[in-house]
Amino acid sequence: MIEFHLDPSSGVATYLQLVQQVRQALRLGLLEPGDRLPTAQQVVTSLAINPNTVLKAYRDLEREGLVRAKPGLGTFVVGRLPRTDPQEQSRFRRSMTEWLRKARAAGLSPDEIEAIYRTAARDALAEEDIA
Amino acid sequence: MTIAALETEGLTKRYGRRTALSDTTMTIPAGRVVGLVGPNGAGKTTLLHLAVGLLEPTSGSISVLGDRPGSGPEALARVGFLAQESPLYSRLRIDDHLRAGAWLNPRWDADFANARIAELGLDPRQRAGTLSGGQRSQLALTMAVAKRPDLLLLDEPVAALDPLARREFLQTLMEVVAAQSVSIVLSSHLISDLERVCDYLVVLVGGRVALSGDVDEILATHHLLSGPQRDPSSLPASQTVLEASHIGKQSTLLIRTTDPILDPSWTVTPVTLDDIVLAYMKRARDGVPNAPRGLAVAS
Amino acid sequence: MTRFTWLQSRTQTLAVGALLAALAIALAITGIHLSHLYSDLVKPCAANGDCGLATGEFSNHYNFLQGALMFLLRVAPAIIGIFWGGPLIARELETGTYRLAWTQTVSRQRWVLTKLAGVGAMAVLAAGLLTLAITWWYRALDSLNDSMWGVFDARDVVPIGYTFFAFMAGALLGAVLRRTVPAMAASLGLLVFARIAIQQWVRPHLLSPLHQTVSLANTGFGFMVRNGGRPDLVVKAGGPRGSWVINSQLVDHSGHVAGAAERMAFVAQNCPNIGPPPLSKPNGPVPAPPGAAAAFHNCADQAARTFHVLVTYQPASRYWPFQWLELGIYILLGLAAAGLCFWWVTKRII
Repeated sequence: MIEFHLDPSSGVATYLQLVQQVRQALRLGLLEPGDRLPTAQQVVTSLAINPNTVLKAYRDLEREGLVRAKPGLGTFVVGRLPRTDPQEQSRFRRSMTEWLRKARAAGLSPDEIEAIYRTAARDALAEEDIA
Repeated sequence: MTIAALETEGLTKRYGRRTALSDTTMTIPAGRVVGLVGPNGAGKTTLLHLAVGLLEPTSGSISVLGDRPGSGPEALARVGFLAQESPLYSRLRIDDHLRAGAWLNPRWDADFANARIAELGLDPRQRAGTLSGGQRSQLALTMAVAKRPDLLLLDEPVAALDPLARREFLQTLMEVVAAQSVSIVLSSHLISDLERVCDYLVVLVGGRVALSGDVDEILATHHLLSGPQRDPSSLPASQTVLEASHIGKQSTLLIRTTDPILDPSWTVTPVTLDDIVLAYMKRARDGVPNAPRGLAVAS
Repeated sequence: MTRFTWLQSRTQTLAVGALLAALAIALAITGIHLSHLYSDLVKPCAANGDCGLATGEFSNHYNFLQGALMFLLRVAPAIIGIFWGGPLIARELETGTYRLAWTQTVSRQRWVLTKLAGVGAMAVLAAGLLTLAITWWYRALDSLNDSMWGVFDARDVVPIGYTFFAFMAGALLGAVLRRTVPAMAASLGLLVFARIAIQQWVRPHLLSPLHQTVSLANTGFGFMVRNGGRPDLVVKAGGPRGSWVINSQLVDHSGHVAGAAERMAFVAQNCPNIGPPPLSKPNGPVPAPPGAAAAFHNCADQAARTFHVLVTYQPASRYWPFQWLELGIYILLGLAAAGLCFWWVTKRII
């Protein structure tokens, strides 16, 4: 079962954050088809957010074909998201670690490194549909 | 057309020389959790008191669930109210309060009320005056909810509570929304109190509506643009500039638009609800004309 | 709403009830004892011819209690009315609990009516029981007096009227002033004013007073000098037995009331050298100058020939009609206050 968390200062709508977290969980294999998502009641108890927000997020996911609501039983995962090959993931992780080491050796501070990452990510990933 | 939870038309309320609400017109939809935000003295309490019949308008009109507020027991039964600082009878016990609730409200849900008190771990024989702030607000909330209203109005319910009590109160409130179909309007002078629970927002400044609309839409249509220095009036007409600051060679603009932002010279970042609300409050205070009612594209 | 009103006033009602019960027991014990004393001391006295002595001895019992109960019955209406009426609405406004009370499923009309009627009934009941008990306790002592006029406001039914009015006035002022303590103070002031005003100006004329003319020879009279003016003739006459004398005035033979100028002129002409008696010397009183006694008798005879006394009074038989009339007045005043209170709370209190 997935545990939701909320980042109130991110400027991203709450329901979008929930959707993102479900998709992320699917990508990482933490959620599989057949798993049940928390009920609105449960999310409300843990996060104290508007239950309509939860329902809206689940509706969005249902429209994407990732989940399906079964009345009286709950909302269940039905779809999959392409998962990156774990070997691919560790390959990129290794090259990133190498890059970071070089940047530190060149004298860049962690803040500078982060700023470089954010700017590059924004530019490179901007075309992608985030939600 | 469904009946709005609350509707006002040119509503004005004056106390002697002081004007608390000035020609206020708004429609609050039913079935939502509505946040009523504004600085102290903006008229939030006045609006809520008008909505439950504790006050009469000086001019203009207000209707709640289609009825005139306080116009009789039927109208009173459909609206629950939690006043500021959770007024309770300090010398009466908790069970006295619940019994009074049962006597005074035909729709009273005694099972719910007793279950809630048990869940809270309160001794029903305890006097209300000896409860902590958080416990008082929970008891007052229980009384308002057990009445089984169609609309629940809360006046700054978490203002005086510590962070834990605040979270627990909102959690209770959201559980009620999840379990029953009840519209909620809650007011606060801090948007951060209400962000996580509201799906509709009304910003009240100086007795007037500065902004109202769906929270998701507000968030989706407001953006922070930063980039090289730019004159705000040079932006396309579809982009309304709410706030502009120019420092050195950089401009930062808070805009509202329903169209995508195509200008590549801008770096676009999302804005928090807090900043959006602050911008509108500043505009209202400085006398800039208000945003149109609601932000829906088709309305 | 009735049950809720009871819930809110439960504590004070039970407290007052307990006090009344304790008082009732004390009164029962002492009252019965008084009855026995009366039978033993006063009943046989007519046969023995020593009634003056017997009644004196009898009325000397329970002096403290006599005074205390009189005092109690004079202040109880004010206390009950003000302490129950003042906070009735004011406390809810002051503490903000009206925001809870007026958003339950009870119309404001029903809320204020039930509170006024419910707690008002309790106040009136308490006042009634108290008055009844004390009037009963006093019955033997009162029977020794020619009339009840002297204790009119502390017996029988009028104290209930005072309480009713005090309660409603307290409730009204509480609703208007929105603060408990000022409301209580203001209603106390209003009650005192009302009682004094009605006692002075209304009560004497509830029914047209009767008149009687008596001779100056049988009446006590005297002289008075005001503020260094000329000596004036003053009278204080009694009326028929048991009556309440409202006024006694000097009239001449044609029935015309003698004004101050006329009286002073008479004194100057017929009673010369009348002045305040000289101060006593250390050795004892100063003997009157020779001829002073004769001059005084001459003056008195002349006065009796020139003037009569017109006594304006209410007879003893009107005591009970007056009780009901005054009760009626205070009930009307109380109802007016209640009506104003109702109107204020339902229409104007925004």
